[in-house]
Amino acid sequence: MPLDHEAYKPKEQTKEFDIQVKLAIYKHFAETGQGPTPTEVAWRVNANVEEVLGVYKRLRIQRLLVLEDDGSTIRMASPFSGVPTQHVVTVDGIHYFANCAWDALGVIAALHKPGTVHSRCLQSGEPLHLKVGLDGPELSDWVFHCLVPAAKWWDDIVFT
Amino acid sequence: MLFFRSEEKVREWCNVHGYPMRPLVRIDQLWTLATTWYSTRLQENSRRPQPEEMRMIFAGLGLEGEFWDPQSDSFD
Repeated sequence: MPLDHEAYKPKEQTKEFDIQVKLAIYKHFAETGQGPTPTEVAWRVNANVEEVLGVYKRLRIQRLLVLEDDGSTIRMASPFSGVPTQHVVTVDGIHYFANCAWDALGVIAALHKPGTVHSRCLQSGEPLHLKVGLDGPELSDWVFHCLVPAAKWWDDIVFT
Repeated sequence: MLFFRSEEKVREWCNVHGYPMRPLVRIDQLWTLATTWYSTRLQENSRRPQPEEMRMIFAGLGLEGEFWDPQSDSFD
């Protein structure tokens, strides 16, 4: 019976590799504002693309990645979005797309750098330009509304 | 999970689309949620809060009830 190489790999080694891939994804987003291709991640972790895509599957199960239907394009690596959204965060001249209002502030929290959140009121279209420092956002009377109950967020995380 | 200019605008949006209006979150509360979830995201030891931790985080901000309970079955 042939060995299943993935299953044969020592668990700690797999876990360590998963962490390397996860960090490589986030580092790419942080440095460029864009989602990495599997090839770019593979280059960063000195592995092949097939190995990286194997990790993608595990990170998706852990709810750390949301992938497009092709299984290789990153739609969400929260707080970062791999596709354009209405929530744009500017930090050090780099523009980041965030998945939602929560994640827009999350980008600044993750980067530990001051920045500006650009978004809009979903009802009126009024633009929001919210400056956020290391200690948090400037005073603002805007509000955040979440339509989906917490227990249902992952039923359809893109809609949430 | 969206920004609105005011409570009035949330109510208008919910009415237009036939959605229920949910508890509102202030921007300073949202910052606490963002830092709690993401401040270690680029670090090796990052992890997502588990359900009991989530309940405690939300409760600490006054966000309580079935809506904020990650294991509630009230919305099935």
